[in-house]
Amino acid sequence: MRYPILLILLLTALLVILDARADDLPIGYVKTLVGEASITTAGTKLKADVGSPVYQGSLLQTGSKSSMGVTFKDETVMSFGADTTFSVDEYLYAPAQGKLKLGSKLTKGSLNYVSGVIAKLKPDAVSITTPSGVIGVRGTQFLVKVEE
Amino acid sequence: MIDARLECGARAGGLLSRAAMLIVGLALFALSGCASTPKSYVVLLPSPDGTVGKVIVSGARGEQVLDKAGQAAATDGSAIAAPPGQPQLDKDFSATIAARPKLPVRYLLYFSTGTSLTNDSLLLIPQIIAEATSRSSIDISVIGHTDTVMTDAYNEQLSLGRANAVVELLKAKGLNANAHVSSIAIESHGERNLLIPTPDNTFEPRNRRVEVSIR
Repeated sequence: MRYPILLILLLTALLVILDARADDLPIGYVKTLVGEASITTAGTKLKADVGSPVYQGSLLQTGSKSSMGVTFKDETVMSFGADTTFSVDEYLYAPAQGKLKLGSKLTKGSLNYVSGVIAKLKPDAVSITTPSGVIGVRGTQFLVKVEE
Repeated sequence: MIDARLECGARAGGLLSRAAMLIVGLALFALSGCASTPKSYVVLLPSPDGTVGKVIVSGARGEQVLDKAGQAAATDGSAIAAPPGQPQLDKDFSATIAARPKLPVRYLLYFSTGTSLTNDSLLLIPQIIAEATSRSSIDISVIGHTDTVMTDAYNEQLSLGRANAVVELLKAKGLNANAHVSSIAIESHGERNLLIPTPDNTFEPRNRRVEVSIR
Protein backbone atom coordinates (compact mmCIF):
# COMPACT_ATOMS: atom_id res chain seq x y z
CA MET A 1 0.00 0.00 0.00
CA ARG A 2 2.87 2.36 0.71
CA TYR A 3 4.38 2.17 -2.71
CA PRO A 4 1.47 3.76 -4.63
CA ILE A 5 1.46 6.62 -2.14
CA LEU A 6 5.21 7.07 -2.50
CA LEU A 7 4.85 6.98 -6.26
CA ILE A 8 2.12 9.62 -6.18
CA LEU A 9 4.27 11.80 -3.93
CA LEU A 10 7.23 11.40 -6.26
CA LEU A 11 5.15 12.19 -9.33
CA THR A 12 3.65 15.23 -7.59
CA ALA A 13 7.13 16.44 -6.66
CA LEU A 14 8.25 15.90 -10.25
CA LEU A 15 5.25 17.82 -11.58
CA VAL A 16 5.98 20.68 -9.19
CA ILE A 17 9.58 20.76 -10.42
CA LEU A 18 8.50 20.65 -14.07
CA ASP A 19 5.95 23.38 -13.38
CA ALA A 20 8.57 25.57 -11.73
CA ARG A 21 10.82 25.03 -14.74
CA ALA A 22 8.04 26.04 -17.11
CA ASP A 23 7.55 29.21 -15.07
CA ASP A 24 11.20 30.07 -15.56
CA LEU A 25 10.81 30.48 -19.31
CA PRO A 26 10.16 33.98 -20.61
CA ILE A 27 6.58 34.61 -21.73
CA GLY A 28 7.48 37.71 -23.71
CA TYR A 29 10.14 40.27 -24.48
CA VAL A 30 10.44 44.04 -24.39
CA LYS A 31 10.42 45.36 -27.97
CA THR A 32 10.21 49.13 -27.56
CA LEU A 33 11.36 51.47 -24.82
CA VAL A 34 11.39 55.23 -24.33
CA GLY A 35 12.79 56.64 -21.07
CA GLU A 36 12.92 54.49 -17.95
CA ALA A 37 11.16 51.25 -17.14
CA SER A 38 11.67 48.26 -14.89
CA ILE A 39 10.67 44.60 -14.67
CA THR A 40 10.35 43.04 -11.21
CA THR A 41 10.27 39.24 -11.15
CA ALA A 42 10.25 37.16 -7.94
CA GLY A 43 11.34 40.17 -5.90
CA THR A 44 14.21 41.18 -8.17
CA LYS A 45 13.85 44.54 -9.89
CA LEU A 46 15.77 45.00 -13.12
CA LYS A 47 16.05 47.98 -15.44
CA ALA A 48 14.18 47.17 -18.65
CA ASP A 49 15.92 47.27 -22.02
CA VAL A 50 14.85 46.34 -25.53
CA GLY A 51 15.20 42.55 -25.52
CA SER A 52 14.57 42.11 -21.76
CA PRO A 53 12.53 39.00 -20.92
CA VAL A 54 9.16 39.13 -19.14
CA TYR A 55 8.04 36.21 -16.98
CA GLN A 56 4.78 34.99 -15.50
CA GLY A 57 4.36 37.10 -12.36
CA SER A 58 6.51 39.98 -13.63
CA LEU A 59 5.60 43.49 -12.54
CA LEU A 60 6.20 46.07 -15.29
CA GLN A 61 6.62 49.72 -14.38
CA THR A 62 7.30 52.76 -16.53
CA GLY A 63 8.57 56.14 -15.32
CA SER A 64 7.31 59.62 -16.17
CA LYS A 65 7.67 60.57 -19.85
CA SER A 66 8.40 56.89 -20.55
CA SER A 67 6.76 54.11 -22.51
CA MET A 68 7.38 50.42 -23.19
CA GLY A 69 6.11 47.78 -25.62
CA VAL A 70 6.04 44.04 -24.98
CA THR A 71 5.23 41.16 -27.36
CA PHE A 72 4.12 37.91 -25.75
CA LYS A 73 4.70 34.33 -26.96
CA ASP A 74 1.12 33.99 -28.19
CA GLU A 75 1.52 37.21 -30.25
CA THR A 76 -0.44 39.38 -27.81
CA VAL A 77 1.04 42.86 -28.17
CA MET A 78 0.87 45.40 -25.36
CA SER A 79 2.28 48.86 -24.88
CA PHE A 80 2.30 51.04 -21.81
CA GLY A 81 2.37 54.81 -21.44
CA ALA A 82 4.00 56.89 -18.70
CA ASP A 83 3.69 56.11 -14.96
CA THR A 84 2.17 52.71 -15.56
CA THR A 85 2.09 49.72 -13.25
CA PHE A 86 1.07 46.43 -14.87
CA SER A 87 1.50 42.80 -13.85
CA VAL A 88 1.09 39.52 -15.68
CA ASP A 89 -0.26 37.31 -12.93
CA GLU A 90 -1.17 34.26 -14.97
CA TYR A 91 0.10 33.28 -18.39
CA LEU A 92 -0.45 29.86 -19.93
CA TYR A 93 0.24 29.20 -23.58
CA ALA A 94 0.14 25.53 -24.52
CA PRO A 95 -2.49 25.34 -27.29
CA ALA A 96 -1.87 21.60 -27.89
CA GLN A 97 -2.94 20.87 -24.29
CA GLY A 98 -5.70 23.49 -24.33
CA LYS A 99 -3.89 25.43 -21.60
CA LEU A 100 -4.58 29.07 -22.35
CA LYS A 101 -4.76 31.92 -19.87
CA LEU A 102 -3.78 35.54 -19.69
CA GLY A 103 -4.67 37.12 -16.37
CA SER A 104 -3.22 40.58 -15.81
CA LYS A 105 -3.62 43.70 -13.72
CA LEU A 106 -3.36 47.37 -14.68
CA THR A 107 -2.97 49.25 -11.39
CA LYS A 108 -2.34 52.65 -12.94
CA GLY A 109 -1.30 54.29 -16.18
CA SER A 110 -2.28 53.36 -19.71
CA LEU A 111 -2.30 50.29 -21.93
CA ASN A 112 -2.77 49.59 -25.63
CA TYR A 113 -3.73 45.94 -26.02
CA VAL A 114 -3.79 43.91 -29.26
CA SER A 115 -5.03 40.36 -28.79
CA GLY A 116 -3.01 37.31 -29.77
CA VAL A 117 -3.64 33.59 -30.13
CA ILE A 118 -4.90 33.06 -26.55
CA ALA A 119 -7.85 35.43 -27.09
CA LYS A 120 -8.55 33.85 -30.50
CA LEU A 121 -8.57 30.25 -29.27
CA LYS A 122 -10.20 30.81 -25.88
CA PRO A 123 -11.94 34.18 -25.69
CA ASP A 124 -12.81 34.07 -22.01
CA ALA A 125 -9.21 33.28 -21.04
CA VAL A 126 -8.07 36.89 -21.22
CA SER A 127 -8.79 39.40 -18.47
CA ILE A 128 -7.34 42.67 -17.31
CA THR A 129 -8.17 43.69 -13.77
CA THR A 130 -8.19 47.39 -12.85
CA PRO A 131 -8.71 48.92 -9.37
CA SER A 132 -12.40 49.46 -10.18
CA GLY A 133 -13.35 46.49 -12.35
CA VAL A 134 -12.46 43.76 -14.82
CA ILE A 135 -12.04 43.97 -18.60
CA GLY A 136 -12.91 40.79 -20.44
CA VAL A 137 -11.48 40.54 -23.95
CA ARG A 138 -13.08 38.83 -26.94
CA GLY A 139 -10.28 39.30 -29.46
CA THR A 140 -9.67 42.89 -30.42
CA GLN A 141 -7.63 46.00 -29.85
CA PHE A 142 -8.42 48.52 -27.13
CA LEU A 143 -7.01 51.29 -24.98
CA VAL A 144 -7.40 51.59 -21.24
CA LYS A 145 -6.38 54.35 -18.86
CA VAL A 146 -6.38 54.08 -15.06
CA GLU A 147 -5.96 57.21 -13.01
CA GLU A 148 -6.10 57.18 -9.21
CA MET B 1 -15.48 64.65 -12.79
CA ILE B 2 -14.95 68.29 -11.77
CA ASP B 3 -11.65 68.39 -13.65
CA ALA B 4 -13.23 67.14 -16.83
CA ARG B 5 -16.10 69.63 -16.54
CA LEU B 6 -13.68 72.51 -15.96
CA GLU B 7 -11.69 71.47 -18.97
CA CYS B 8 -14.84 71.11 -21.01
CA GLY B 9 -16.19 74.50 -19.88
CA ALA B 10 -12.82 76.22 -20.18
CA ARG B 11 -12.92 76.08 -23.95
CA ALA B 12 -16.03 78.26 -23.94
CA GLY B 13 -15.40 80.03 -20.63
CA GLY B 14 -12.45 82.27 -21.54
CA LEU B 15 -10.74 84.31 -18.84
CA LEU B 16 -13.14 83.92 -15.95
CA SER B 17 -12.24 83.41 -12.34
CA ARG B 18 -11.96 79.81 -11.26
CA ALA B 19 -15.22 79.87 -9.30
CA ALA B 20 -17.15 81.61 -12.07
CA MET B 21 -15.66 79.25 -14.59
CA LEU B 22 -16.86 76.29 -12.56
CA ILE B 23 -20.41 77.63 -12.55
CA VAL B 24 -20.31 78.54 -16.23
CA GLY B 25 -18.70 75.23 -16.94
CA LEU B 26 -21.37 73.31 -15.11
CA ALA B 27 -24.09 75.30 -16.87
CA LEU B 28 -22.51 74.71 -20.27
CA PHE B 29 -22.07 71.08 -19.40
CA ALA B 30 -25.75 70.79 -18.58
CA LEU B 31 -26.93 72.82 -21.58
CA SER B 32 -24.61 71.64 -24.32
CA GLY B 33 -24.47 68.02 -23.27
CA CYS B 34 -20.69 68.38 -23.30
CA ALA B 35 -19.92 64.94 -21.96
CA SER B 36 -17.21 64.34 -19.44
CA THR B 37 -14.82 61.46 -19.83
CA PRO B 38 -14.13 59.63 -16.57
CA LYS B 39 -10.55 59.47 -15.36
CA SER B 40 -10.37 55.71 -15.84
CA TYR B 41 -11.89 54.33 -19.01
CA VAL B 42 -11.65 51.77 -21.80
CA VAL B 43 -11.96 52.52 -25.55
CA LEU B 44 -12.47 49.87 -28.21
CA LEU B 45 -10.37 50.18 -31.39
CA PRO B 46 -10.48 48.12 -34.58
CA SER B 47 -7.96 45.28 -34.60
CA PRO B 48 -4.94 45.78 -36.88
CA ASP B 49 -6.60 43.41 -39.40
CA GLY B 50 -9.60 45.80 -39.57
CA THR B 51 -12.07 43.61 -37.69
CA VAL B 52 -13.71 44.85 -34.50
CA GLY B 53 -13.95 42.48 -31.58
CA LYS B 54 -15.63 42.88 -28.24
CA VAL B 55 -14.70 44.00 -24.75
CA ILE B 56 -16.78 43.50 -21.61
CA VAL B 57 -16.11 45.98 -18.82
CA SER B 58 -17.60 45.05 -15.46
CA GLY B 59 -17.30 46.60 -12.03
CA ALA B 60 -19.26 47.89 -9.04
CA ARG B 61 -21.22 50.34 -11.23
CA GLY B 62 -22.45 47.83 -13.77
CA GLU B 63 -21.37 46.07 -16.95
CA GLN B 64 -20.84 47.50 -20.43
CA VAL B 65 -20.31 45.58 -23.64
CA LEU B 66 -18.26 47.47 -26.22
CA ASP B 67 -18.51 46.06 -29.74
CA LYS B 68 -18.20 49.11 -32.01
CA ALA B 69 -14.96 50.95 -32.73
CA GLY B 70 -14.69 54.13 -30.68
CA GLN B 71 -17.15 53.00 -27.98
CA ALA B 72 -15.99 53.62 -24.43
CA ALA B 73 -16.91 52.73 -20.85
CA ALA B 74 -15.66 53.68 -17.41
CA THR B 75 -13.49 50.96 -15.85
CA ASP B 76 -16.02 50.65 -12.99
CA GLY B 77 -18.61 49.39 -15.49
CA SER B 78 -20.65 52.58 -15.75
CA ALA B 79 -21.70 53.91 -19.14
CA ILE B 80 -20.25 56.99 -20.81
CA ALA B 81 -22.81 59.25 -22.50
CA ALA B 82 -20.55 60.26 -25.39
CA PRO B 83 -17.24 58.63 -26.28
CA PRO B 84 -14.06 60.67 -25.66
CA GLY B 85 -13.05 62.86 -28.60
CA GLN B 86 -9.80 62.65 -30.52
CA PRO B 87 -8.07 65.43 -28.49
CA GLN B 88 -8.77 63.50 -25.28
CA LEU B 89 -7.55 60.21 -26.79
CA ASP B 90 -4.40 61.88 -28.10
CA LYS B 91 -3.67 63.38 -24.71
CA ASP B 92 -4.19 60.10 -22.87
CA PHE B 93 -2.81 57.58 -25.36
CA SER B 94 -0.57 59.00 -28.09
CA ALA B 95 2.66 57.90 -26.36
CA THR B 96 1.10 54.54 -25.45
CA ILE B 97 0.08 53.89 -29.05
CA ALA B 98 3.47 55.05 -30.36
CA ALA B 99 5.15 52.43 -28.13
CA ARG B 100 3.23 49.55 -29.74
CA PRO B 101 5.68 46.95 -31.03
CA LYS B 102 5.59 45.88 -34.66
CA LEU B 103 3.05 43.07 -34.99
CA PRO B 104 4.41 39.51 -35.16
CA VAL B 105 4.67 37.84 -38.58
CA ARG B 106 4.32 34.15 -39.40
CA TYR B 107 5.73 32.16 -42.32
CA LEU B 108 4.91 28.63 -43.44
CA LEU B 109 7.71 26.66 -45.06
CA TYR B 110 6.90 23.41 -46.89
CA PHE B 111 8.98 20.29 -47.46
CA SER B 112 9.37 18.13 -50.55
CA THR B 113 10.90 15.10 -48.84
CA GLY B 114 12.37 14.51 -45.39
CA THR B 115 13.97 17.74 -44.23
CA SER B 116 14.41 19.34 -47.68
CA LEU B 117 12.45 22.52 -48.30
CA THR B 118 10.47 23.03 -51.50
CA ASN B 119 11.98 25.54 -53.93
CA ASP B 120 9.20 28.06 -53.25
CA SER B 121 9.85 27.86 -49.53
CA LEU B 122 13.61 28.23 -50.02
CA LEU B 123 12.86 31.57 -51.66
CA LEU B 124 11.14 32.72 -48.45
CA ILE B 125 14.32 32.40 -46.38
CA PRO B 126 15.82 35.75 -47.50
CA GLN B 127 12.42 37.40 -46.77
CA ILE B 128 12.41 35.99 -43.25
CA ILE B 129 15.97 37.24 -42.66
CA ALA B 130 15.01 40.68 -44.01
CA GLU B 131 11.95 40.86 -41.74
CA ALA B 132 14.02 39.76 -38.73
CA THR B 133 16.72 42.30 -39.51
CA SER B 134 14.20 45.14 -39.87
CA ARG B 135 13.20 44.79 -36.22
CA SER B 136 15.21 46.16 -33.30
CA SER B 137 14.83 43.00 -31.22
CA ILE B 138 13.23 39.67 -32.06
CA ASP B 139 12.38 36.34 -30.55
CA ILE B 140 11.53 33.48 -32.87
CA SER B 141 9.58 30.28 -32.59
CA VAL B 142 10.10 27.48 -35.09
CA ILE B 143 7.53 24.67 -35.01
CA GLY B 144 7.93 21.51 -37.09
CA HIS B 145 5.02 19.43 -38.42
CA THR B 146 4.48 16.31 -40.56
CA ASP B 147 1.64 14.66 -42.41
CA THR B 148 0.16 11.38 -41.11
CA VAL B 149 2.28 8.98 -43.18
CA MET B 150 4.46 6.76 -40.92
CA THR B 151 4.21 6.34 -37.12
CA ASP B 152 3.68 9.01 -34.47
CA ALA B 153 7.14 8.45 -33.02
CA TYR B 154 8.83 8.66 -36.42
CA ASN B 155 6.97 11.90 -37.17
CA GLU B 156 7.92 13.48 -33.83
CA GLN B 157 11.55 12.99 -34.86
CA LEU B 158 10.96 14.11 -38.44
CA SER B 159 9.20 17.33 -37.42
CA LEU B 160 11.99 18.11 -34.98
CA GLY B 161 14.48 17.48 -37.79
CA ARG B 162 12.55 19.87 -40.01
CA ALA B 163 12.47 22.62 -37.37
CA ASN B 164 16.20 22.19 -36.75
CA ALA B 165 16.94 22.24 -40.48
CA VAL B 166 15.11 25.57 -40.82
CA VAL B 167 16.98 27.06 -37.86
CA GLU B 168 20.31 25.93 -39.31
CA LEU B 169 19.40 27.38 -42.70
CA LEU B 170 18.35 30.73 -41.18
CA LYS B 171 21.61 30.87 -39.23
CA ALA B 172 23.66 29.91 -42.31
CA LYS B 173 21.98 32.74 -44.25
CA GLY B 174 22.99 35.25 -41.59
CA LEU B 175 20.09 35.44 -39.11
CA ASN B 176 22.18 35.89 -35.96
CA ALA B 177 24.83 37.96 -37.71
CA ASN B 178 22.29 40.55 -38.88
CA ALA B 179 19.37 40.50 -36.43
CA HIS B 180 19.14 41.05 -32.65
CA VAL B 181 17.79 37.67 -31.60
CA SER B 182 16.69 37.29 -27.95
CA SER B 183 15.78 33.63 -28.32
CA ILE B 184 14.91 30.87 -30.77
CA ALA B 185 12.38 28.36 -29.45
CA ILE B 186 12.18 25.07 -31.37
CA GLU B 187 9.09 22.89 -31.06
CA SER B 188 8.14 19.59 -32.64
CA HIS B 189 4.44 18.81 -33.06
CA GLY B 190 4.82 15.67 -35.21
CA GLU B 191 1.46 14.82 -36.76
CA ARG B 192 -0.52 16.17 -33.77
CA ASN B 193 -1.29 19.58 -35.28
CA LEU B 194 -2.43 19.14 -38.86
CA LEU B 195 -3.05 22.20 -41.00
CA ILE B 196 -5.31 20.10 -43.26
CA PRO B 197 -7.18 17.44 -41.26
CA THR B 198 -6.67 13.97 -42.79
CA PRO B 199 -7.06 10.33 -41.75
CA ASP B 200 -3.95 8.43 -40.65
CA ASN B 201 -1.38 7.43 -43.32
CA THR B 202 -2.39 10.22 -45.69
CA PHE B 203 0.16 11.94 -47.88
CA GLU B 204 -0.57 15.68 -47.62
CA PRO B 205 2.13 18.15 -48.71
CA ARG B 206 0.41 21.06 -46.91
CA ASN B 207 0.87 19.29 -43.58
CA ARG B 208 4.61 18.78 -44.16
CA ARG B 209 5.62 22.18 -42.85
CA VAL B 210 7.52 24.37 -40.44
CA GLU B 211 5.95 27.48 -38.96
CA VAL B 212 8.31 30.35 -38.27
CA SER B 213 7.00 33.14 -36.06
CA ILE B 214 8.98 36.38 -35.86
CA ARG B 215 7.95 38.41 -32.82
